[in-house]
Amino acid sequence: MNRRDFFKIVGATGAAAATAGCQGAGEHILPLVVPNEQLVPGVASWFATVCRECPAGCGVLARNRDGRVVKLEGNPDHPVNAGALCIRGQAALQGLYHPDRFAGPLVRAGGGLTPATWENAQKLVVERLAALRGAGKGRAVALVTQLEQGSLGVLADRWTQALGARPHVTLEPFAYEAIRAASRITFGRDAIPYYALEEAQVVVSFGADFVETWLSTVGYTRAFARMHAFRDGRAGTFIHVEPRQSLTASNADEWVRNAPGTEGMVALAVLRLMLEEGLGDRRFADAVARVDVKQVAERSGVAEATLRHLARAFGHARPGLAIGGGVAVSGTNATETQVAINLLNAAAGNVGRTVRFGPDSAYGRVTPYAEVAQLVQAMQRGEIEVLLLGQGVNPVHALPAGLGFAEAARRVGLVVSLATQPDETTALAHVILPDTHWLEAWGDYAPREGVTGLLQPTMSPVRDARPLGDVLLAVGRAVLGSEEGKGPLPWASFEQYLKAAWEPVVRGQWAAALRQGGVWRDVAPAAVQATAGPLAAGAAALEGDAGGFALLAYPSLRFYDGRGASRAWLQEAPDTMTQAVWDAWVEVPAEAAARLGVATGDVVRVSSPHGALELPAYVSATLHPQAVAIPLGHRYAPYHVPRYVAAAPTAMSPAALLGPATDAASGGAAWLGVRVTLARTGARRPLAILQATHDQDHRELAQHVDLRAAREQALRGRAGRHETISMYADQVYPGYHWGLAIDVDACVGCQACVVACQAENNVAVTGKASAAYGRQLHWIRIERWAEGPAAHPTNTFLPMLCQHCEVAPCEPVCPVFAAYRTEEGLNGQVYNRCVGTRYCGNNCPYHVRRFNWFQYEFPAPLEVQLNPDVTVRQLGIMEKCTMCIQRIIAGKDHARDAKRTVRDGDILTACQQTCPTRAITFGNLTDDTSAVTGLRHSPRAYTVLEELGTRPGVTYLKKVVREHA
Amino acid sequence: MSDQPTGTPTFADVNRDVLRTLEPPGHRYFAWMSVVALILAGGILFWTGQVWWGIGMAGKRVPQMWALYITTFVFWIGIGHAGTLISAVLYLFRARWRTSIYRAAEAMTIFAVLTAGLFPLIHAGRMWFAYFLLPYPNQRYLWPNFRSPLVWDVFAISTYLSISTVFFIVGLVPDIAALRDASTGWRRRIYALLALGWEGSDNQWRHYRRAYGLFAALATPLVLSVHSVVSWDFAMALVPGWHSTLFAPFFVDGAIFSGFAMVAVLVLPMRHFFGLHAYIRDKHLDAMSKLILVTSLVLTYFYLSEIFTALYSGDHFEKASLFWKVTRTYAWALWLMYFCNCIAPLIFFVKKARTHPVVIYVVSILVLIGMWFERFNIIVPSLAHGFYPYTWGIFVPSPTDTGIVIGSFAWFFLLFLGFIKLMPSLSIVEVKETLPPPMRDTRHGAHH
Repeated sequence: MNRRDFFKIVGATGAAAATAGCQGAGEHILPLVVPNEQLVPGVASWFATVCRECPAGCGVLARNRDGRVVKLEGNPDHPVNAGALCIRGQAALQGLYHPDRFAGPLVRAGGGLTPATWENAQKLVVERLAALRGAGKGRAVALVTQLEQGSLGVLADRWTQALGARPHVTLEPFAYEAIRAASRITFGRDAIPYYALEEAQVVVSFGADFVETWLSTVGYTRAFARMHAFRDGRAGTFIHVEPRQSLTASNADEWVRNAPGTEGMVALAVLRLMLEEGLGDRRFADAVARVDVKQVAERSGVAEATLRHLARAFGHARPGLAIGGGVAVSGTNATETQVAINLLNAAAGNVGRTVRFGPDSAYGRVTPYAEVAQLVQAMQRGEIEVLLLGQGVNPVHALPAGLGFAEAARRVGLVVSLATQPDETTALAHVILPDTHWLEAWGDYAPREGVTGLLQPTMSPVRDARPLGDVLLAVGRAVLGSEEGKGPLPWASFEQYLKAAWEPVVRGQWAAALRQGGVWRDVAPAAVQATAGPLAAGAAALEGDAGGFALLAYPSLRFYDGRGASRAWLQEAPDTMTQAVWDAWVEVPAEAAARLGVATGDVVRVSSPHGALELPAYVSATLHPQAVAIPLGHRYAPYHVPRYVAAAPTAMSPAALLGPATDAASGGAAWLGVRVTLARTGARRPLAILQATHDQDHRELAQHVDLRAAREQALRGRAGRHETISMYADQVYPGYHWGLAIDVDACVGCQACVVACQAENNVAVTGKASAAYGRQLHWIRIERWAEGPAAHPTNTFLPMLCQHCEVAPCEPVCPVFAAYRTEEGLNGQVYNRCVGTRYCGNNCPYHVRRFNWFQYEFPAPLEVQLNPDVTVRQLGIMEKCTMCIQRIIAGKDHARDAKRTVRDGDILTACQQTCPTRAITFGNLTDDTSAVTGLRHSPRAYTVLEELGTRPGVTYLKKVVREHA
Repeated sequence: MSDQPTGTPTFADVNRDVLRTLEPPGHRYFAWMSVVALILAGGILFWTGQVWWGIGMAGKRVPQMWALYITTFVFWIGIGHAGTLISAVLYLFRARWRTSIYRAAEAMTIFAVLTAGLFPLIHAGRMWFAYFLLPYPNQRYLWPNFRSPLVWDVFAISTYLSISTVFFIVGLVPDIAALRDASTGWRRRIYALLALGWEGSDNQWRHYRRAYGLFAALATPLVLSVHSVVSWDFAMALVPGWHSTLFAPFFVDGAIFSGFAMVAVLVLPMRHFFGLHAYIRDKHLDAMSKLILVTSLVLTYFYLSEIFTALYSGDHFEKASLFWKVTRTYAWALWLMYFCNCIAPLIFFVKKARTHPVVIYVVSILVLIGMWFERFNIIVPSLAHGFYPYTWGIFVPSPTDTGIVIGSFAWFFLLFLGFIKLMPSLSIVEVKETLPPPMRDTRHGAHH
């Protein structure tokens, strides 16, 4: 049986069950007359595919249980993410099972959208297209999709050519065009290179927020951990320049706060000083001859001493790496800034070593913003009659309001959306032909040269959806009047097209390529020569009130450009820096807040020349005093209101404030482009902030050690450790003793584990009010603890979960033995026995036990995602981290079948599995050779609140802090 | 005694006066009953809602997994203490001033424990499984966890309830016999049943006295044990502000303190409305006031010890918890408690205040408020500022938990209002014992 037959059978049974479950229609139970040997009830199948939540294109393994995908994990073989997934990747399931997903095609009739058949809906489009083609007005047709760097993109190009339409536009709001343009200018190569963070000794980032969204979050975070985490006495240094203390800045050994828009001049000053110190290639001296370091220090607010220190640190590194181009700092001078960064790399001899052309990023293939703007202008002029918008694009929400997309779209005769769920753009659409979710579709995607991932359906479609490729083929043929097998679009389906396209590559090894998740090869680095003319140090030009605040509109780790915002898991996972969930906010510098008389939670009116937003303030001591910051992409899905949030507020994304300004040299959107004014409204909208305080109050929850001391201890061991003394005998572990080790030094606070745990363990979503009131249910949380001066704190991220204490305070107080100690060192929780006295919750010093305050629901069809191996908890009972007991059981079964004991790697907890930095290690503490035992005896090891004598099974490794200059 | 009313009642007066309290009630009584029943109905509705929608309807959260329910539970258990103390301990010490108030106090005890007993059920997330806490035989050989103070609570409270109920009923027997003889119809049948065939023979009296003394001796340790056990709910836990060896005596004293205040709150209106001034005399009020004063002073000492221990221990968590309680969000509750429990009763150093019903009433109400807030201050602010700063948080009561707590007062007063119309709220027998018997020299019986 081949895979297609398999899917037919799964489809016949699964689709009926799944769709019936989704739509609440009558149930159709079909007997599985011919049992499928690949489908064993109760045993999961894994399908390799590619995550399409952003253009990073990480490899994914989808866990399919009885025809339904219940969990996503990173594909360990994939070169981009090597097994890890970010928070958005983990939450992709909520897009697949989204309660608002379109149930089928819709056609606008009399103002509202009404259901239609595929035939009728497609006919509407076909007729219009055929008419235009007949009238020779093919140019009035535009096709806009997200970045499809693969066969679908090629097919789309072919389709537009066949129909004589405008060239296919790939729309990615964040396209890093400045990097591309600067590469063109400095190196003569129109590409975004691969930055080998993992090989650098010193990384200097000028606003490149790689922990959050920059280019390839998982890939670069992983590389960063390899470069930066303390290992064998070695650790790299990371310096970050940004006006705002972002999550990436928090992970830097040194965060340098500069005035908004001055990254370029800082880079040039660093280059000049570096050359002055004789630490770089003198060929570039001319380029920075006109740079006045004093003036740069004055204008950027970065002290000359700091600049010199940066120059020395960077110049001495062998090799170093300078990166830039983060969305939040991409202003009108973004290309100049990036050119300066290129020169830094070139002067330090990093090009070809840590800056590698060859394995170029797919971002370099995005349609330039200038062309998008041209399309919008054409729409405005009424030149576009049919606009087809693929899934994943929501230009009305994601593009700067100043571009005027929404207005322009209203002048288009027929807007066809292929989105999977309603958004601001589908609200303007006339016909909706819902695309399949990427977990249901065939495809391929190449995130960078040399790496092409394969997408395959991991389950039958949840809703009545058709893949974009099939729709293009069907519509195209109907318009052209050609038959299947003939004409420019002969393929019966996109799947057939894909296989035909791949045949020369895989040469019959299709199944193997699918199993691996794609094909990859090493790409030889391309040699490039840097050339540079004299450069001037300019700041970004900002539009608006000169006395106002520079608006830092930054893409968020959780929502990207807004694609993630419809997922309730992402809404409820806190933003690590503010620990806020659900609502959006405007980060206001403390001085300005005091002047305005606003506190956190007071609604502030933020006005720019292009619009205004009313958002609750978040008062920040760290933000540059001349800036305010608002995360991009905040929006709610229809089903979130009023279930999780009280009322639908108006726009929350700062895209509404941005103008049409662009970076002149690259044509890319200037996300840092306006100044805004703030006004107090007098209203209050308290934010749901999960962490009560970022001050540890000397409790040493998150501990750190000096790099020098860590080296010393790594060499000689740590003195002065004492074992806890007790009158009672230690617990004896006859078999296993499960334990976790968490490296605080490696944790970057990305929250991927939080959502991975939520997906694995059926953790419910509670909504804003509950979360604000300490009733969130996450089994693991990432805490941010700040130390040092309020304006410039050192942040430590502490993942906190059940500590599985040997002397657990929760256990003796439970009157009914619902909380008990297992023989394998876990704090068990028997849901059926729990009466709900909540005594354990009070007595847990870590407060990691979670109570079911209500009967939490999983709105259909989200219940299909529930992990069948984990109980769904009833109201009135306690729950908490089980160390993924279901995985432990499966791992033990597996080892028993192999007639051996469990080894490292047999069992990965969900949080460990997805961690991009490998900060979490699970294993058997009775095994002296296991990794976790080794870490438990590391000189950096400590347990949280050790003085209470709880003897946790979770060991933490201290963060290693660098001596500052 | 100079403050002794002039008209010493005779035995006939006693019979008349006590039985008068049992006369068919007037409109005013029913009006009060309706008000109380209405409030109770509201409380029951809130509880129903909470069972239906979940414990989230109450204002609890992380870190206050416990809040108003346990506060009110401990409050009612404390109230219950004065009853046993008055009836048993004072009986054994032959404090004869107890006679006019002990019946009401005993009834109060039982009703208070009955009220308190509701709260563990109200509090539980899945109250329909609360029977898991009982050690009942089952095929799975599952027992409750005898290490858990909550299981100790189950035993302590059920023991307390059964002993005080038996004690109460035994004490009632001769009086009920008197009622039986004076009543007709359905009341007579019920009273006959409860009187256990009492005839008043010498033999019966002898047995009765022995049994009463025995029960008094049995009940006495419970005065200490029950509230000690309840205090261990907190003392056995790790929470800063709870983990203290001080808690058992501290709770027992507080319980007696609040119990006496509640007795005063119940007895003073009874005396006023039923004209029982001849039986509940100023010397009784004086004795109660003195006890309230003494227990208040002892409590003040405990408060000081608590603060001292936290400071002197040098324990960072304890100190942080204390400073937070004294100065932050709930500081008003703490200072209100100090005022009500430590300052207000000091007025009883003035002799006139000790016998002035209005002063006693006001002070008692303040003491009750203060003692409710004492439990609140132990539970809510301590949990608010525990070991883990991430989860520090403020509890805000919801309509549900407020409604249920108010409903519990209604439930208590409903029971008490029923009691004063169905049972002799003064002990006919014991009051008579304190009076000069007819045909006897008045010099013997009047004083003690």
